[in-house]
Amino acid sequence: MLLSLIKYSFRKFKVSETKRHELNYLFWECTTRCNLNCLHCGSDCSKNSVNKDMPAEDFFQAIDTIESIPQNFTVVFTGGEPLLRKDLELCGKELRRRGFKWSMVSNGHLYDKERHISLLNAGIGALTISLDGLKESHNWLRNNEKSFDKVMNAVELAASSNRLNFDIVTCVNQRNINELEQIKKLLISKNVKAWRLFTIIPIGRAVHNPELLLTDNQLVQLMDFIAACRKSKEIDIKFSCEGYVGKYEPLVRDSFFFCRAGINIGSILIDGSISACPNIDRSFSQGNIYKDNFYSVWENKFQPFRNRDWTRTGQCKTCKDFKDCQGNGLHNWHGEKNNVLVCHKEKIETATYREHR
Amino acid sequence: MKRNVIRQIVGGLSLTSAMFVFQACYGTPQDFGLDLLIEGQVKSKTSGLPIKGIKVSVADNMQYTWTNEEGEFSFYTEMLEELTLRFQDVDSIKNGLHADKDTVLTDLSKDIYLDIVLEEK
Repeated sequence: MLLSLIKYSFRKFKVSETKRHELNYLFWECTTRCNLNCLHCGSDCSKNSVNKDMPAEDFFQAIDTIESIPQNFTVVFTGGEPLLRKDLELCGKELRRRGFKWSMVSNGHLYDKERHISLLNAGIGALTISLDGLKESHNWLRNNEKSFDKVMNAVELAASSNRLNFDIVTCVNQRNINELEQIKKLLISKNVKAWRLFTIIPIGRAVHNPELLLTDNQLVQLMDFIAACRKSKEIDIKFSCEGYVGKYEPLVRDSFFFCRAGINIGSILIDGSISACPNIDRSFSQGNIYKDNFYSVWENKFQPFRNRDWTRTGQCKTCKDFKDCQGNGLHNWHGEKNNVLVCHKEKIETATYREHR
Repeated sequence: MKRNVIRQIVGGLSLTSAMFVFQACYGTPQDFGLDLLIEGQVKSKTSGLPIKGIKVSVADNMQYTWTNEEGEFSFYTEMLEELTLRFQDVDSIKNGLHADKDTVLTDLSKDIYLDIVLEEK
């Protein structure tokens, strides 16, 4: 009864947030150059040295169209690898001068003491670093034998700063699923406070590497691990907002599932495209900063993000959880968009059904 | 205003602490803005001219920066109850020889501008 009331209230909350569509979170795909060659490249970020880095002044011209700065507005530098941009700190300082906060997602490879200090000096406020396993499995996924040591150095630096709101993300796959307990202990020993886990969806290079994708049983194993760790409260652990997880919804995150892409999350991509999260199919682009007024696009377009009725197709058409899920994370819709690419709830239910047979 | 109140009520009923503080799947946590901007200029007491190359550091913290041609410096640092800024001439006789100086800052509730004067050795 209470859970039903909470779920009902959350649905109403989502409707209200969608109507309001306040831009709180803006990704800037500031480069698609990268210093690694990860096995899952193209799943959550992409590497393409053909594109030139977007000139900072083009980005600032676009965000200067924002009429009033929403509360908690943050610009998130992403890539590629943002640390390859030599003007990153200048861009960060310029954002702060305008009253914006900024943060960065990094693979940590170039994050040394000097860069840590220069980023703090430039007013960085939050940071996410990828760690994808213990040494062997991390270096396997990152396709670089030095990556783990470099990341651990970056983690120690970031964790030493009280200023940074810092977390670790881990792409859970078949090589590291059984290491999660050890990774947790490692992170706690390095004074890491927050850890976010997510799975790899079958796009980019991940399509051709089945070891990257979790089986149904492994997804349940991951959910059980997160739920148990959240009870013990040793570290602030959560499942990312990548998808609706059915019966695990109240157990693996701080909040129920809510894909805020295009509702509170926007992006300016490397070619000037205006969209939501960078891992969403580029065909969802709503305009381009080189042709359109960025804020006008944010205010007046984004209909496919703010009305998700179109996702009521394929297996979502008859799903009893559609009201809470609304087509899963939008990065799960690609190509013809006839069906959701991954249904987390279905994978969990399939595993649970098999177990009880 | 009305919409905001409704938002708070409906959000509160759903008992989720993270309603208004979220992060994208592959994004960063949110920044709660717990820093302040410290900037200023360093000059020589004898000549009154700006001094380039002075190391400006935060005591008990790894953060530091350097003064530029105009003797100016600028950086963000953690908002604390009190912090000590250290001004050090570490480039030997280049740009003159100046005595080090510590400055204790106690009102760190807002951004700070400092005029620092260093005595020549």
